[in-house]
Order: sequence, then C-alpha cells, then structure tokens
Amino acid sequence: MSPAGLRRCIAALLSAASSAVALAVAGAPTQSSSPGQARTSAKVEGAILPRDSKEAEAFRGGLVYANYCVTCHGFNADGNGRAARLYNPRPTNLRTSDKNDAYFGLIIRLGGEAMGRSPFMPPWGAELTDEQMADLVVYLRAINSHTKDQQ
Amino acid sequence: MIRNVISLIACLALLEASAAAGAAEFAVEQKAKNFTIKKLNIKVGDSVKFVNDDPFSHNVFSLSDAKSFDLGSYGQGGSKTVVFDKPGTIEVECAVHPDMKMVIEVSK
Repeated sequence: MSPAGLRRCIAALLSAASSAVALAVAGAPTQSSSPGQARTSAKVEGAILPRDSKEAEAFRGGLVYANYCVTCHGFNADGNGRAARLYNPRPTNLRTSDKNDAYFGLIIRLGGEAMGRSPFMPPWGAELTDEQMADLVVYLRAINSHTKDQQ
Repeated sequence: MIRNVISLIACLALLEASAAAGAAEFAVEQKAKNFTIKKLNIKVGDSVKFVNDDPFSHNVFSLSDAKSFDLGSYGQGGSKTVVFDKPGTIEVECAVHPDMKMVIEVSK
C-alpha cells in the first residue's frame, strides 16, 4: 500500500474508532467536580480516544489505556473507573493531572509505590512493551487538560 | 464455682476450635496468565489462597457485592489469602491481565 493509502486507511480507522467509542461512553456518568475544576472538566469531557488526533502513537496508546488502565482510571480517564471505590486515595484524574511526560512514564513503568504514590497502581514495566508505555504517555498527553491549556 | 468457670471456658474453646476446624483453605494458582481453577465452590468461612506461579506480577481483585477486595501486586512465589464471610457469587479478576477471570461460589 502506498504511503498516501496507508494514511487514508489510518485516518478512516481513527475516525471510525473514535465515533464508536464516543457512542459507547455517551451514557457514562460525567465527572463531578468542585467549582474550581468545572472549567477544566468542561474542556476535557469526551470520548476516551482523542477525536481529533491523527497521531498513530496516541491512537495506539488509547488502545493500551482501554485494555489496562480503564478499570481504575475510568472511561473518561477521570479516576472514576469501576474499581475506583476500592481505593483510598482514589485513582488519579489523568485528565487534570499536572505531571509531565517523564513522570507519567516512570509511574507507569515502576508503579505507584516506587513513586511514593498509591501502592495499588501496579508496575507495568514487566507487562507492557517500551513502545506500549511510550504510546500510553502520548495518549495521556493528548487527553490532558494542561496540554490543551498550553495550545 | 471455679470448676464451673473452667468448664465454661473449655466449652467455649472447644466450640471455637470446632468452628475453625470446619473452615477449609483452598488454593488457586495464577499460572500462564490464568487462574488454575475457573470455578470454585466453597462454604462461608472458608478461605482461598491466591498463589502467583508466574515469573511476573499479578494483582488479584474482586468488585463483587459479596466480597470486594484488592490484593495488590505481588510477584512469583507470593501469595495472599482471602476469607469469604458472606454467601454469594464472587467474580475474581487480575488488574494486570484483563483476560484473567474466575468465579467463587460461596454457599451457607
């Protein structure tokens, strides 16, 4: 397949997947937030996969997220996954986290305990490939409100 | 009087021992990214020991109403035990490996 054909194919896949996931999560409860968070939340609500990203890394990272992270961090990446009620502190709201890419990469690889955070965040270094973890960081950056504020 | 008190204590100890003796401990291994038992029938008061036989970490948890728990991540050779104190159906999963699932039926 030619590079142009491949680009068209990826774009079509991204569009279809984003639409499907948007439909799937349309009924998900919206995040409750304090008044101070309302502005940020309004900007980051939406589908789990980045709707407007043509980046293959972000798309692949979204798949990694949907497979491994969604149970705790939730469909909206707001820390309200179905397992969140088990934990104190609650899973992090990844939409509003102010951590940088290096931090995301480290806590994904090493787990929460090694980073002085929740011991219930597993270390993913033995489970995910380096590429999967790097893609996940790109995806998290794509959905993060601090990234959007800087654009 | 003293003899009666001693008899009472002995009876209570006997009752406790018989209750403990009635509770069984089961073992479920995590091996090759699977639970070695897919469905386990146990009684209220029984316990299940989750043993990691894989060379990587597992994180066993359940969100079921009858028993919610999270054992955290533990590596090869590690194990954690859960006592099931209510009847019901408990779906057990692994947070690291989403395809790993098993069911524990706890009856009275």
